[in-house]
Amino acid sequence: MGKTIIEKIIQDHTKEEVKAEKIVWMDLDIRSARDFGGPNVVKNYEEEYGDAPVADRKKTFFTFDLCVPPSSLRYADNQQICREFARGQRIEVFDVDRGIGSHVLMEEGLARAASTVVGTDSHLNILGAVGSFGQGMGDVDITFAFKTGKTWFEVPQTVKVLIKGSFSSPTTAKDLTLYILKKLGTKKAALKAVELYGEAVRGLDLPGRITLCSMVTEMAGIIGFVPEFGDSLKAEIENFSGTIFSPHKADEDCSYSDTLEIDVSGLSPQVAVPFAPDNVQDVSELKGVKIDSGFIGSCTNGRTEDLALASQILKGKKIKEGVTLKVVPATKRVYKEILERGILEDLFRSGAIISNPGCSGCAEGHIGLTGKGEVQVSTGNRNFAGKQGKGKTYLASPAVVAASCLTGHITNPKDV
Amino acid sequence: MKKGRVWKYGDNVNTDVIFPGKYTYSILEPEEMARHALEDLDPGFAKKVKPGDVIVAGRNFGCGSSREQAATCLKYAGVQAVVAKSFARIFFRNAINQGLPVLQSEEAVDGIEDGGEIEIDFDRGSIKTARGDFSFPAFPESVMGILEAGGLIPYTKKKLERK
Repeated sequence: MGKTIIEKIIQDHTKEEVKAEKIVWMDLDIRSARDFGGPNVVKNYEEEYGDAPVADRKKTFFTFDLCVPPSSLRYADNQQICREFARGQRIEVFDVDRGIGSHVLMEEGLARAASTVVGTDSHLNILGAVGSFGQGMGDVDITFAFKTGKTWFEVPQTVKVLIKGSFSSPTTAKDLTLYILKKLGTKKAALKAVELYGEAVRGLDLPGRITLCSMVTEMAGIIGFVPEFGDSLKAEIENFSGTIFSPHKADEDCSYSDTLEIDVSGLSPQVAVPFAPDNVQDVSELKGVKIDSGFIGSCTNGRTEDLALASQILKGKKIKEGVTLKVVPATKRVYKEILERGILEDLFRSGAIISNPGCSGCAEGHIGLTGKGEVQVSTGNRNFAGKQGKGKTYLASPAVVAASCLTGHITNPKDV
Repeated sequence: MKKGRVWKYGDNVNTDVIFPGKYTYSILEPEEMARHALEDLDPGFAKKVKPGDVIVAGRNFGCGSSREQAATCLKYAGVQAVVAKSFARIFFRNAINQGLPVLQSEEAVDGIEDGGEIEIDFDRGSIKTARGDFSFPAFPESVMGILEAGGLIPYTKKKLERK
């Protein structure tokens, strides 16, 4: 019997026969830890293994992205704990200037098609966007991975999702993602790999694929892959990462646990309402919801193309008085691109705050929280109660956030 | 096999309410983590929980952030096992790696009442409740090995010692 994509990647990394629902020990190409989880990895490592060397220092990395540079002493201490361990072990650190770790791993060509990557980031399955098997894990798992280069893993079943129909601007990959999340909820893809097919996903560029794959976590899925792509995407990813893009394809006779269809014909912008990412409504149903702040960034929507889309809407206009808009590029490379392309200036002139790269708004990061009663519209991926402070967070596309910051209430970009 | 009191909760109990984000950035001893277990979901839990108690919950238990402390704090609070309709995968792994059994059974969750007493038999894969017995799928050999050793790192240490 043929294999699904996840089965093929895992099979490349283990001598055991791979099949769905079986637990295997597999090799990991890249093992990473962030400033969140990282200090506990160091503590566990030193307690369990002392100063014994990691399995392979060239495959082991720290990526600081949560609170960068640190705005609290705890973060400062935690980052320094990781740095000192890294110096002792001669491990490379992508430090506080570099931005979101998962994106840096893709930019550096470290997370590449058909590779296996683990780290302390629950959104590391975002690496499905480049055909890589990425998984977020806990401190003990990562400690173990640092020392051995291996992990145990239950090969997940795969669900095939056929996305039918197409949509056009101002609907974006984020709206598509939220709509898929609405339809799949947290049950239909739970603990499974997802392969997404169909015209609407085949045409996505890399940032669009990143957006889509980043929220498979919110579907409770293991990872998402978009197996079909055109020549332009291949060139885009190869140029982006400096590596050859040659991802696995599923065998025709592979076995899916389920095949689902979602029709996105004529989809309009979508918004996730507090306090669950799958609590998704059409933007028209939220007319009149007043906002206090906007956030554009995160691993889901922090690429240059996301910020460019927002700046197209904001250019030459001013955000509504009393509303604050926080913009955070995903990485230093994105920061450089928005600087060189004039996007940063357009955003600045519209009244936005533009910070250095990182996770920021999605964690208790470096660009502030929401206060009690505050309503925020964000391009992030989670709106659980308490996640970004005590306020309420709506999740939307960069276009919807930009349009909403102009009017002061949740707004369809076509209306501004 | 031990009896334990049931603490029952709903669907989508996320790691932010199991172990609040504000404590995750300090490196705490596990006993201290236990004092904040479920703080934002059930503020009375940490004070009243007794060794051997069992958490019973709906779907997608442990969703959200990858924080290991969510599993650690429950283990050190004395929780014997978590029974849920389904688990978020990172929490599921973290729990097993910490040696905290996580059992999946829709029927058992529907049949178990909050505050009641249940008994879990890991060898037989059964949960004894006031409303009858429920079975749960046996753990694969490697997972059972990790649980019996008390977690992933002790498990591999044992394996290495044997070599």
